[in-house]
Amino acid sequence: MKKPLALLIAAMMLFTLCACGQTDKPAATTAATTAAATTAAATTAATTAAATTAAATTAATTAATTTAATTAATTAAPAAEPFVITACIASEPETIDPTMISSVDGNTYVNHMFENLMCYRSTGKPAGDDPKMMSAELDYGQAESCDISDDGLVYTFHLRDGIVWSDGQPVTADDFVYSWRRLCMPETASDYGYLLEGIVVGATDIYENGADPATLGVKAIDDKTFEITLEAACPFFLQLCAFGNLVPLRQDIVEKYGAEWTNPENIVCNGPYVIDEWVHDSYISMVPSETYYNAEIVGPDQIKWYLSDDETAILSSYQSGEYNFIESFPSDQIESLTASGDCYILPSVTTYYLYLNCENLTDWRVRAAITLCIDRDNIVENITQAGQIPASSLVTGGITDSTGAMWQNGTGYKEVMWARLAELYPDADLTTYAGRCELAQDLLAEAVADGFDTKITIPYRFNNLGTHGTIAEAVHQDVNSVLGLNMTMDSTEWQVYTATLDTDRAWYVARLGWQADYLDGSSFIDLFTTGGSYNYSRWSSAEYDALCAKYKSLPGGAERDQAMYDAEAVMFSEEGFPCSPLYYYTNSYCLSQEGIQNVAMSSLGFFIFTEATQG
Amino acid sequence: MLSYVAKRIGVSVLTLLLIICITFLLMNAVPGSPFMTEKSTPEMIAMAEAKYGLDKPLIVQLWNYIKGYFQGDMGVSLKMQKGTDVTTIIFREGKFVLSFKLGVWAVLLAVIVGVPLGCIAAYNRGSWIDSVLRVMTTVGVAIPSFVLCSLLLIYCGVKWELLPVISGSLTDWKAYIAPVIGLSFYPMCYIAKLTRTSMLDAINQDYIRTARAKGLKTGRIIFKHALRNCLIPVITYLGPMTAGIITGGFVVEQTFQIPGLGKYFISSILNRDYPIIMGTTVVLAALVIMMNLIVDITYKLVDPRISLIKGDS
Repeated sequence: MKKPLALLIAAMMLFTLCACGQTDKPAATTAATTAAATTAAATTAATTAAATTAAATTAATTAATTTAATTAATTAAPAAEPFVITACIASEPETIDPTMISSVDGNTYVNHMFENLMCYRSTGKPAGDDPKMMSAELDYGQAESCDISDDGLVYTFHLRDGIVWSDGQPVTADDFVYSWRRLCMPETASDYGYLLEGIVVGATDIYENGADPATLGVKAIDDKTFEITLEAACPFFLQLCAFGNLVPLRQDIVEKYGAEWTNPENIVCNGPYVIDEWVHDSYISMVPSETYYNAEIVGPDQIKWYLSDDETAILSSYQSGEYNFIESFPSDQIESLTASGDCYILPSVTTYYLYLNCENLTDWRVRAAITLCIDRDNIVENITQAGQIPASSLVTGGITDSTGAMWQNGTGYKEVMWARLAELYPDADLTTYAGRCELAQDLLAEAVADGFDTKITIPYRFNNLGTHGTIAEAVHQDVNSVLGLNMTMDSTEWQVYTATLDTDRAWYVARLGWQADYLDGSSFIDLFTTGGSYNYSRWSSAEYDALCAKYKSLPGGAERDQAMYDAEAVMFSEEGFPCSPLYYYTNSYCLSQEGIQNVAMSSLGFFIFTEATQG
Repeated sequence: MLSYVAKRIGVSVLTLLLIICITFLLMNAVPGSPFMTEKSTPEMIAMAEAKYGLDKPLIVQLWNYIKGYFQGDMGVSLKMQKGTDVTTIIFREGKFVLSFKLGVWAVLLAVIVGVPLGCIAAYNRGSWIDSVLRVMTTVGVAIPSFVLCSLLLIYCGVKWELLPVISGSLTDWKAYIAPVIGLSFYPMCYIAKLTRTSMLDAINQDYIRTARAKGLKTGRIIFKHALRNCLIPVITYLGPMTAGIITGGFVVEQTFQIPGLGKYFISSILNRDYPIIMGTTVVLAALVIMMNLIVDITYKLVDPRISLIKGDS
């Protein structure tokens, strides 16, 4: 008996040892050869650029210096340590195919590897209290200039000289045409396939009816000129031209490698970094592109993006020095991390709000009463604890109007959630929570007098993740204790939750978070137009719809701003309150206190390490 | 024996087919879609489903899965690594091998430490050694994996800096220590308890008394004569446990940031990534079936009185 057992154990150990030897780096696919093969082409491109303009000469020289330095760093063991950023912003991305990305992390990786017509660059001015974190502003990227027609319908971008792909081929307007068409094609099935609908000529017909992608209003006039024709003037269109889903793509590469074109050995990029190694579920490594035209601004010698979503493990890795930038950690640690100077909080363009089902809660006064009686300060101070801001509107704090002023500071803005109520009930004190509760009780009493039954059950549906349950408990407590209603909590898994939000209409209250795709109030206000895909409350207001139609027809300016401010005011007036905004999200992060400066964050919440410096 | 193994393999294939069918039906019965996001509309979901063939009748989809498996094609991920072959995710990216390596070491540690601990506890029944071991094994069985892993990470990794915080792809022997302990502690304690209980049964048997009467040393009686008989329940537990450990290190892999397969068992269901759900289920089922077969054969080796084939004595 001994022998077979011993043999079995020995065989198992041998197998394990063999496995150890074979997979020192599983799935580690390197693109070093690609990078090496492209050096010659890069040199040619840099030389061409140098011959063209003085600025380009500087860039090319710096690029050459940087390249030489990088080469030296890797081959001759230099005295200085390479500047490596180790960041963890999420777990394994679903994809890094720019057309297919839909997450913040996917966008962050793409923004480091690719560059669109426009891009976000550091302003050199701190975004908040952290002197190491800069704000970022929209700037020309692959385009050097743009002509906009007088009616605002035709955008003609002129591409820079000397812009090349990481394999040395020049970036042309056709690369943009291919990418933009690919996004709109229904067979691509991108999460953001709808992005250009109603904006670029032909996009709606292609995306919804499968029309010929060639009918999209984009055109390569020549290799260096890219023209876009819009359906209507779009004040935020230049922001879209920095969007990750619309970066140029190489048709030959995408078609040659299919789904594997984003593998490190296949991918061809036009941005400041190239991906040189990807160990799935472990890390993505990026090194500076040798062909990027603006190499002088590129800081880190390597960005290593660790892929994890275990908050405790992430924080432990940060504390042990393995990571020098993290975005995710247990919320109960924020206070101590802030005190130690590691954690900082910046605003985000996302609102957490509750849908109030207008089919079940038919009386607007009940919806208003529920909105009034929720203690938002309690939620942000005791539950979320990451510096979130209690909401006073659906449009989140970071959105700006046409003057560049923050939405809440704009001329047309008032405390919109309470503004109309303050006019209707001038005696009510809406500046304090106690005053709002009193008005909530009065409004409910009016509704009861008109037949509202307080004994009905009011199910609050939410997905059972993170703090959603605790927030639901707080809302439940407020509604039941202040209004004496019978709210119940209906927790479900995320997939079931989203799948049934529009089909199983038994809920009265349901939660959602909405992040703006661009810095414009319409990103939020469009949510509640009649028949809108995200209008789960099924609220309908002719006045609101008319105002939405009005601002969509106007070019950027005071009149358009006012139409949006007015629309939001209608949302929170009589027969309104289809939703109850709770708070505006924030971005909290920890950045190592030693050695890293000039990280930037775009107003849409994407972190940018390209221009980070050491010191 | 050979005919028995051949018959079991035939039954295993049928079992796998049944598991594929049941898993497919169950996952389609649950609401949701891999393409569901805050911003997805029914039209967008329909487009994506058409792209990946999820708009076809269920029976056609099931047939495609079965046909694919026989051709070595497990489909492509719909969400977690969009567009990537499931076989690549499970096998070629090294996830299965990583989880396997970790699992095998954990099983070995659990058996090599757990069985002697059980024997020692039984041998010293009622003494302070027995009490200490009983407390330790009870705590080991009760303590949740994430608590133990977090403690190992915070103390051994961050505070005392003895072990790496990120085990990664397990390229260094030090990277194994904390995850293997985290993964093996529960089964080790459970095996020790099982061994102790069955050892206590065994040492009260007549043949042990005879051995004692003949003057054999206690250590020889325990480890040579009693151990063989008390291993049966341990082996029964080892089969499914091994399959579970090899594939189910979700918490351990998350805590020590090991890019193994564990996460895919849980996250694929939460993400409704149907091909990965099917792929991981089939791999786990195949492992369980294989381990049960090995366990049955091992019974025979441990105790020749056990019959594998009907009528065989």
